[in-house]
Amino acid sequence: METNLILEGFKFMGLGMGTVFLFLIIMIVCMNLMSTIIHKFFPEPQPSATPPAQKDNKKIIAAITAAISHHRQG
Amino acid sequence: MKNILMKLLALFMLFTFTSALANEHVTADAKMSAHQEETYHTKPFSEMVGGFLKSTGVNAFLNPDPEEMNAHGEEMSDFHKSWGRIIMIIITFFLFWLAIKKGFEPLLLLPIAFGGLLANIPVAGIAGEHGFLGVIYNMGLSNEMFPIIIFMGVGAMTDFGPLLSNPKTALLGGAAQFGIFGTLVGAVALSQAGFVDFTLQQASAISIIGGADGPTSIFIATKLAPELLGAIAVASYSYMAMVPIIQPPIMKALTTDAERKIKMTTLRHVSRLEKLVFPIMVLTLAILVLPESTPLIGAFMFGNFLKESGVVERLNDTLQNSLINIVTIFLGLGVGSKLAADQFLVPDTMFIMALGIIAFSVGTASGVLMAKVMNMFPGHKVNPLIGSAGVSAVPMAARVSNKVGMEYDRSNMLLMHAMGPNVAGVIGSAVAAGVLISLFQ
Repeated sequence: METNLILEGFKFMGLGMGTVFLFLIIMIVCMNLMSTIIHKFFPEPQPSATPPAQKDNKKIIAAITAAISHHRQG
Repeated sequence: MKNILMKLLALFMLFTFTSALANEHVTADAKMSAHQEETYHTKPFSEMVGGFLKSTGVNAFLNPDPEEMNAHGEEMSDFHKSWGRIIMIIITFFLFWLAIKKGFEPLLLLPIAFGGLLANIPVAGIAGEHGFLGVIYNMGLSNEMFPIIIFMGVGAMTDFGPLLSNPKTALLGGAAQFGIFGTLVGAVALSQAGFVDFTLQQASAISIIGGADGPTSIFIATKLAPELLGAIAVASYSYMAMVPIIQPPIMKALTTDAERKIKMTTLRHVSRLEKLVFPIMVLTLAILVLPESTPLIGAFMFGNFLKESGVVERLNDTLQNSLINIVTIFLGLGVGSKLAADQFLVPDTMFIMALGIIAFSVGTASGVLMAKVMNMFPGHKVNPLIGSAGVSAVPMAARVSNKVGMEYDRSNMLLMHAMGPNVAGVIGSAVAAGVLISLFQ
């Protein structure tokens, strides 16, 4: 009883760290799997889809205003 | 004139009638009081003053009552009844100073310290079974209720986004749990060497301080070694508050200048659906791998799920604010009740304090070393400074990583990168707690 207390501690350590890492590794694998699935099958409506359109609009507006001012000057 | 006389007469009659009725009452009362006076002996005034002086606190401190028992109805030494209490009251004043002047986790340290002050009052027995601290303790601490509710609130405050965008940093949160098990070995080695007499249960409860997670520490301590709860909670919370002092020297000692300047790739955007699925996924894993950890992880993920669902804003708000605040008050006072002199002023406490700081340091060091190991493998490099955030202590440890990183490169923002291992550390210490509980079933 007296002598194996430290050994007992090391056993706890092996089992404990093993479980923690096992759990986290499974968690990491699942996280990667989940994000792949979600990105493939349930892609979020891209918020980046609208800004370029707005940019284009701005360009068009700029072009039109430029054309109008050119026309007026002319 | 006649009218007035008539009225007076009427009044007079009324009075005589009522007073006759009242007289009957008086006689009844007199009988009652005569009955009571049998137990109450009249005393000379000097004796009354003497009796009162005997019931004062000054007398209780100077001449401890041999009949007085501690909160559990056990005998306690005269030292713990007199000077022990005075020393404990001074210690609680020191804790007030730490909380108010130094800003050490005041939200918990203040209630704990005040609970400790109340628990050390002689005669009143506030921490006893029928005192209000004792009632609070039995209401929610001895059955592990309060730490679980706190965990729900912490879950509602946690954002798993940084972890989801860089999943491998979860390993850092795992490595830091080495602090727990390293200290466990240290504690049993100490009792093996004969310095103290810790059982394996007690050693496990002490080592969980290395998880740097207050609610988990309290949960495990009440389950495995309730007699050490006061010291463990105080060590846990005061070291958590000292994270900005304990961690940086260890982090700097274990890293090279080049490593500290590593810039990490920017985090990708995490979709709402991922955040919503994550709590359920982790809980499912916990159910399959280690059901013993599900009280903690279940409560944590419940809070997080409510937050991420986005449809129960009121419940989320209550969890994050009012509920966690109310429970924090009770938790603090309940833990404080364990600061009674006869339980805190024992040699064990000193060892618990020493083992606690070792647990913190080992956890920090192993997190940093794990990051260095991960850098040996191909892939995106990890700045080892975020490894220290693997000990939970959310969000303090992540802030420390960020601060140390900025010292070496002003443009290196590590905060969000460090949040990943930080929240993984919470999950890791809950799993470690589950392992410890399952070992003692």
